[in-house]
Amino acid sequence: MAERSAAGARVRAVAAKLNAAIVRDGRTLDSVLTEPAGLPERDLPLLRALLYGSIRWHHRLAWQLERLLTRPLGRSRRDAELAALIRLGLFQLQWLRVPDHAAVSATVDAAAAIGAGQRRGLVNAVLRRFRREERQLDAAMADSPEAFRSHPRWLIDAIEKDWQGRAGEILTANNAQPPMWLRVNTCRVGVDEYAATLTESGHSAQRDDTAPAALLLDEPVPAASLPGYADGLVSVQDAAAQLAAAYLDLRPGQRVLDACAAPGGKTAHMLESCPDLAEVVALDRDPDRLAIAQDNLARLGLSATWLACDAADTETWWDGRPFDRILVDAPCSAIGVVRRHPDIKLLRRESDLDAVARLQARLLERTWPLLGSDGLLVYATCTVLKRENHAQIERFLQAAPDAALAGGRSRGQRQLFPGEANMDGFYYACLKKRDARQGSRA
Amino acid sequence: MARLAILEYPDKRLRLKAEPVEDVDDEIRGLVSDMLETMYAAAGIGLAATQVNVRKRLLVIDVSEARDEPHVLINPVIVHAQGKISSEEGCLSVPDVFDYVERAEQIRATYLDLDGRPAELEAEDLLAVCVQHEIDHLDGKLFVDYLSELKRQRLRKKALKKVRRSANEAPRQSISARLI
Repeated sequence: MAERSAAGARVRAVAAKLNAAIVRDGRTLDSVLTEPAGLPERDLPLLRALLYGSIRWHHRLAWQLERLLTRPLGRSRRDAELAALIRLGLFQLQWLRVPDHAAVSATVDAAAAIGAGQRRGLVNAVLRRFRREERQLDAAMADSPEAFRSHPRWLIDAIEKDWQGRAGEILTANNAQPPMWLRVNTCRVGVDEYAATLTESGHSAQRDDTAPAALLLDEPVPAASLPGYADGLVSVQDAAAQLAAAYLDLRPGQRVLDACAAPGGKTAHMLESCPDLAEVVALDRDPDRLAIAQDNLARLGLSATWLACDAADTETWWDGRPFDRILVDAPCSAIGVVRRHPDIKLLRRESDLDAVARLQARLLERTWPLLGSDGLLVYATCTVLKRENHAQIERFLQAAPDAALAGGRSRGQRQLFPGEANMDGFYYACLKKRDARQGSRA
Repeated sequence: MARLAILEYPDKRLRLKAEPVEDVDDEIRGLVSDMLETMYAAAGIGLAATQVNVRKRLLVIDVSEARDEPHVLINPVIVHAQGKISSEEGCLSVPDVFDYVERAEQIRATYLDLDGRPAELEAEDLLAVCVQHEIDHLDGKLFVDYLSELKRQRLRKKALKKVRRSANEAPRQSISARLI
């Protein structure tokens, strides 16, 4: 005997298990996707689409499921996986171009593969009831911002508090599928020249005024399939992250500190945009991630001085020689890149914010003295929360009399909102060190 | 170990009734291991000896996700059946055809294991469906027999066309082989 739906059911069963590993066990999307899924290559794009989609819309799907069940499911792993499977079914009915009957039957069949074969009837009943009651559910969603925005309540509140008029836009952009940006290694190839190579190999991409080395691909593709990727002609990096190198205003002969370097995208970009830097000292607390950064630079034919340590513990690593430029790409809540990492909405807790803000403040305070006079420190985050951005810098400026925003309060900092010019949400502040001999901050 | 050729509808040998296995000997065990290999290679979840042109009452099944729970049933007999379940079936001998067939939802079957000892299997859902589907093969029956006359005629035409096509291609291949 042969099964038609065997493959379809298998990929859905795997997706349900991985979804539950994120929702129930708090694992990250990236980490569950690196494990071998036991699926043939051709099923992997569908697995990714199912997993990203079901996590992106998790809050809405969970709200719908709660209303479609007459009795709630239990707390066991098996029940958590069954709930995940039904949410996946609901996701397919609303967002995937799979015919209803195929989505339902493959999802129902997957129940057996996650050890819930006796509950096929439940899966089937919930999915069919959803189709019948879809309009009423949509109407009822108006009363639940959590379901409507598909964000946790605390995050909706935090974004609304900081950005009243723009909050809706930010929340919508967080749920959009991100585009794929490339950064051309301008040491090796011109941007227009590389764009032509892309066209020849059947891709198409647009240049962008904001980030000089950036190309926006019309259709995302696996990085490894890009022409010259293995040879280091190109990297994958959002245009917003590519602004760091520009804000650093690098000049030949400068000594640069990248205080939180992993995974090395911005480190590499500095060296690509100004190959004659005297030295780039690249730090990260996590040795494993630092190794990834090192590999990334090796692929691009670049090198830096790598140190696995906490940049804020300056006494453990600093040799006493000042830096001309410092990049503090600080750990943050990452609320500006939710569209790329939808699991942030599930894994981040409001209570994490205190610790992360303290970490940022400490990094600023401790690295600032390493900057030579007339030097520039660029502080960057990929979040939109003011507490980590404008308020953090405001606080720092009050404590550091020799620091000022380069170009003044309005031009020295910039908040990019997710989706703005197709970019991720980023914040940059450019802090200039004034010569202490020039005295007070008049 | 060897992969066996699977007969395809409308091959008349699929209509022959299989004979009970008298001795579960090494020859039978060898056949079982070839049938398992054939089934796994074809991504099937069940295979009856009839489908590999052996007229013995013997079948292999694995409905597990991990493909690591083989069942081997020799001289299987369904002794109890209850409930009804309609599910989409397909068959390695009827490629690319899938349709809904109604079967018993739960069954109990007796059979001989690989050591020739009597054994019993309780099955439900897919496993139960699969056992019934494979036992049908041993009796010369195919799942398409349960479909409407119209559907079966269409299938037969399609299958015959395919047989003729491959018959036409065969000589061409042998000519070119000779030229080389």
